[in-house]
Amino acid sequence: MIVSSFVGYRGVNIKRGGGKCKGGPGSNFPEMLVDCPSFSKPQRHMYDDTTAIDVVDLLKVFEKKNRAAVRAVDYISFRVRRGEIFGLLGPNGAGKSTTIKILTTLLPPTSGSASILGYDVVSHPLEVRKSICVVVQENAVELYLSVRNNLRTFGRFHGLTWSEIERRADGVSELFGLREHQHEKGVDLSGGLKRRVQVAKIFMIDTPIVFLDEATTGMDTFNKRATLQAIREESRKGRTIVLTTHMLDEAEELCDALAIVNHGRVIAAGSTDNVKSMGLRLLNVSLTFERLTNDILRFIHAYHPYKIETSDHSIEVKVREEEAALGILAGARQTGLLRHFEITNASLEDVFVELIDKKESVTS
Amino acid sequence: MKEVLAVMYREFLIRRTSPLWLFFDVAVPLLYLLMFGVAFDKALGLGLAIGGDSVSYNQFFLAGVLSMSCFGSAMNQSYGFFVDRDNGIFYEFLTYPMTRGQFLLGKILFQCLMSVVQCVLTLVAGVLMLEIGIQWEFLLLVFCVVIIGAAGWFFFLAIFAFLIRRNDTYNTAINVAYFLLMFLSSLFYPLENVPGWLKVLSYGNPLTWQTDALRFLTIGVGQIEFIVIESLCFGVFLLVSFWGAIRTLQRAI
Ligand SMILES: Nc1ncnc2c1ncn2[C@@H]1O[C@H](COP(=O)(O)OP(=O)(O)OP(=O)(O)O)[C@@H](O)[C@H]1O
Ligand SMILES: [Mg+2]
Repeated sequence: MIVSSFVGYRGVNIKRGGGKCKGGPGSNFPEMLVDCPSFSKPQRHMYDDTTAIDVVDLLKVFEKKNRAAVRAVDYISFRVRRGEIFGLLGPNGAGKSTTIKILTTLLPPTSGSASILGYDVVSHPLEVRKSICVVVQENAVELYLSVRNNLRTFGRFHGLTWSEIERRADGVSELFGLREHQHEKGVDLSGGLKRRVQVAKIFMIDTPIVFLDEATTGMDTFNKRATLQAIREESRKGRTIVLTTHMLDEAEELCDALAIVNHGRVIAAGSTDNVKSMGLRLLNVSLTFERLTNDILRFIHAYHPYKIETSDHSIEVKVREEEAALGILAGARQTGLLRHFEITNASLEDVFVELIDKKESVTS
Repeated sequence: MKEVLAVMYREFLIRRTSPLWLFFDVAVPLLYLLMFGVAFDKALGLGLAIGGDSVSYNQFFLAGVLSMSCFGSAMNQSYGFFVDRDNGIFYEFLTYPMTRGQFLLGKILFQCLMSVVQCVLTLVAGVLMLEIGIQWEFLLLVFCVVIIGAAGWFFFLAIFAFLIRRNDTYNTAINVAYFLLMFLSSLFYPLENVPGWLKVLSYGNPLTWQTDALRFLTIGVGQIEFIVIESLCFGVFLLVSFWGAIRTLQRAI
């Protein structure tokens, strides 16, 4: 199933606001692209009723006095389908929040374009804002208002009637365990609770697109679980969710599709399963021995594993080829010391670390 | 319109949480008039001669107090952007389904209502306690000038609140600007006999335009043709500031 695809521009100059960017667009081809039939077919805003968000060669350069300009977003392209949970992943400073700020009309792009449900974020910001709601990365709670009034004002801003506001505020208070905190002011809440209020607000309304920039940061495990469950429910109802997170297990569990960005560029993208398995074919071999000997380590090293981690009697090896995994397993059995083994696909985190590592070494 | 009302509702909820702030907001101009005005009134004795008329300092200063309270309201409201930015809520607001203009209008309209309340209290105190004669028939126009004045200054100051991102720098810059604007205007003294350079600077100051209009409407001092020109200038100042505030708000992230 095609869940996400890329469009690119080769050698096209994009003009906006008098500025001219040469050569860049289209050069940001992800190293690993999966499910991307339209990638080689340069098109601008291939909007159809299955597309929720379309980003084409987006560039954001922050110019600073007496300092080098920062290319926070460097010709990024991706498309998010309606009803999809889409993860934007990457290390600190990769450009995730900047991309979200452009998509939510907070920042204008330097060049390139992005549309939400067919509305261009620069030329139709109001229509875009009517279609979205956002949990920004920064804490955003009215410190001098009670939790209830935080929900009320949010509802008012989004045009809900008074009765609807009260009904929905009851619902989300229940869902996020805010009932007993209703009358507490934002300033008196703990960090995690503030975040809960901020996240709870987006469940007050039904905008078709939701942006979550590290929404679960600071939440305890129980509330994180409840939030993820609620996000999943919203997606089932047809809302499109775009999220950033550093919790890769969370992304793996939740996202239908994702893009991994680094230094403002997409380095991998596609359906979550495909990003995990198709591109790098990284396999995880876990072995537990009665005892670890130098011979065991020596024969494993002969397979040139990507990574080895040892602890007590266990050893975890990441390899790229299936033959290597099976060879290691066969060798381990021959030692007569093998007690337990497991071969699994690498986790999203493994893929992520490898991609970022590779990128860094190429860059350096 | 409902977007503007939503912003006003939010401002109201926040103000309601601090009755002390609300009290000072409303009462400060009154204190100015009673303490400052009375002292000068006594010191000047016979009053001021303006265009052949003699007016008491209290009468003269009334319009100045109203202008000052508009500026003060606008200044307080513009500090709110820093609080909102610190709370993070500022960024969230800008993703809500409203235009930047509606956001700014909502922010100031609540404050304009407060300015009208300030104005009523100041006028009533002026009449009852200082026996100032007021042209009541122009009361609605006085309210209009107060509202337009507060809005104009708010949009003007908002530009700097968005450009200067540091609370402390903004605080210092605005206090210096307030001091200069107050003393280079017709707020404290008539401009008829001041040195030429001061006159030129003062007549280029929107605070003078607003104060002259208020003085004309409250105590009938000034020439109508001149006041009309000054009012038009203030209108242009308001529109340009509104436009400038929207432009800088787009780049305020
Ligand atoms: N307003 C700004 N002015 C200058 N540089 C900026 C600005 N905002 C972001 N940047 C820079 O742009 C780059 C991308 O920042 P961004 O906040 O998008 O990263 P991120 O992927 O969200 O990181 P994190 O995971 O830490 O939140 C960084 O180098 C950052 O320093
Ligand atoms: Mg971020």
